[in-house]
Amino acid sequence: MYIGNYRSKCEAVFLAFFIFFLLCIARLFYIQFFRSSYLASIARKQHNLFVELEPRRGAIYDSNRKPQAFNIPADSLYASPNEIKDKESAVRALAAILNLKPDYLRERLDRKKSFIWLARKITPEQSSEIKKLKIKGLGFLKESKRSYPNGYLASHVIGFAGTDNTGLEDTEAYYDRYLRGEAGWAVFLRDARQKRLDLWDSMVLPKDGYDVVLTIDEVIQFIAERELDKAYKAHHAKGASIIVMDPHTGAILAMANRPTYDLNDHNSASKDQMRNRSICDLFEPGSVFKIVTASAALEENKVSEEDKFFCENGEYRVANHILHDHQKHGWLTFRQVIEESSNIGTTKVAQILGPDTVYRYARLFGFAVKSGIDLPGEISGSLKEARFWSKTSIGAVPIGQEVGVTALQLANAISVIANDGVLMKPYIVKEVRDRHGVTLKKFFPAQVRRAISEETSLRMKKILTGVVEEGTGKLAKPISYTAAGKTGTAQKLEANGAYSHDEFVGSFIGFAPAEDPKVAIVVTIDSPHPYYFGGVVAAPVFKNVATDVIRYLNTSRPPSEELVLNAAQATD
Amino acid sequence: MSVSRFLKTIFLITSFSILYVYQQTEVFRMAYVGQKKLTAYEDLLDKNSVLRYNIERNASLVHISTKISGNADFQMPDSYRLVRLTPSGQGLKTAEQLAERETLFSRIFGVKRQAEAKTIP
Repeated sequence: MYIGNYRSKCEAVFLAFFIFFLLCIARLFYIQFFRSSYLASIARKQHNLFVELEPRRGAIYDSNRKPQAFNIPADSLYASPNEIKDKESAVRALAAILNLKPDYLRERLDRKKSFIWLARKITPEQSSEIKKLKIKGLGFLKESKRSYPNGYLASHVIGFAGTDNTGLEDTEAYYDRYLRGEAGWAVFLRDARQKRLDLWDSMVLPKDGYDVVLTIDEVIQFIAERELDKAYKAHHAKGASIIVMDPHTGAILAMANRPTYDLNDHNSASKDQMRNRSICDLFEPGSVFKIVTASAALEENKVSEEDKFFCENGEYRVANHILHDHQKHGWLTFRQVIEESSNIGTTKVAQILGPDTVYRYARLFGFAVKSGIDLPGEISGSLKEARFWSKTSIGAVPIGQEVGVTALQLANAISVIANDGVLMKPYIVKEVRDRHGVTLKKFFPAQVRRAISEETSLRMKKILTGVVEEGTGKLAKPISYTAAGKTGTAQKLEANGAYSHDEFVGSFIGFAPAEDPKVAIVVTIDSPHPYYFGGVVAAPVFKNVATDVIRYLNTSRPPSEELVLNAAQATD
Repeated sequence: MSVSRFLKTIFLITSFSILYVYQQTEVFRMAYVGQKKLTAYEDLLDKNSVLRYNIERNASLVHISTKISGNADFQMPDSYRLVRLTPSGQGLKTAEQLAERETLFSRIFGVKRQAEAKTIP
């Protein structure tokens, strides 16, 4: 009885163990064949850490290799709200350092999340102050921040990149494909504390972005902006633009607009401040457009410099419209018509040429078509085809009305006269280089077409020199250099389509020195008050910029280069 | 299999296992050391970038012009106002100073204009 009982108990225990063993086998079988991939993926997540490797965004340099935009490291602050014990004191301390509203921080720290951003890309000073607080639950991730050492200088040319280092405006946007580079990735091993080890399972290295070298010269840009800013403030203008161009190549040496903004603080800038007026804004050019009519007349041999025109003592009817001169003139030679900027004289010249010829030359000078500059947002301007002109158009288009242009188109047009008659394609980027300085892509000057003959351009140079020496552009004459140019004062259109008597665009286009042009400059001042004549508000800007820029170009051999050269000779 | 052969095999396997574990711990130890050095190196690079940015910003024309009084523009000098500096044994000197330096040889054999006495009317 006792033995039989003992046997059955043993069998029961054995059975229990056997069932347990079978269950284990079954569980192992299940884990091995049905759950293995899931569990392996969990294990991989615990052991491995996938990290995206951010590429270095390429820098932007000026033509003398001075950096205009590059990335610097910046810490981004995050929090694990659950780990922070005294949230209120953390909020107070962080708000003071980061200049953030306490309510904003409080709201973020109250969220039930294990990770939340508090501030992205903070300054090194802020970062070190926060680290000193030693608050548990706060952490930093290293990112890189686009920085612009010159602040507002050339802001409408350089543009800016967003938080994720993607170009959003101007060169940063247009050349983003070169600048951004390609992200890489790596799978790093983690230790038991989940800390990243620098041992990787697999890795694809990031490809750094290429550097972009602009045609802009930082010094010329500074001079242009300084003078533009003075005029913009002195004349209480709504806006202003300046372009300095090498007339022989089409390279833009400086381009600036007012109002402007600081690239390091682009978040607080308005759309109006960000707009590159030089290529995005359309305006009627007024008398500066007379260079087209005058060039056409000379090229077609319809007039000569000494041909006389009666300027009707200031009043001339064209169809049902009465044309006025700002000063009454009687008989003027063709040269004087341009020097004194007579609307009536120019209209009479245009009547000899006819609408088709005026339109053809306007197109030859690059108006009503995009110049093709390598910046985003350029507009083409507007000019009706000659067959759509009204009866009054012949008294409007040749003097710069009924035609919409950009400041860049004016710079291109005046360069045609400065460079002996060739229309050049403007460009802003000289080359693309890798981080070791090897040039990958070079941009060369491109000739669009010959607009006028060399002889006509020489004759126009003399006439435009007369504008500065004797005519409406006397205030544009640079100190100790010669210059040629044309003033313009255009009435702005009101909302009802009529020309305003209070709002004008004062402009000056020209080049210097007149005999061997080194720079072509366009200055436009939008709605200046109380003075509004181009010869008064824009011409002095031209004078100051031309004087300083030519001095600079004559003496621009960098001293550092000279020292290095001499040092090399000394050691030889 | 004899006992001695079994023990030898066990000994070998154990030795290799210990060596393998040691190698792995060394790899991880070195990874930690490398990580520390890399962090220090990256910190230095970061500081260098920030310093470079600060230098560029402080040396920029925009910054200098804001430091100068609003009424005093700094303008481009004409070439006659420029002084060319060249390195010499005593540091940087103007090119003119170096040109004026006379040697004993040039003092004796140099052709120079004689001093002329002029009558004052």
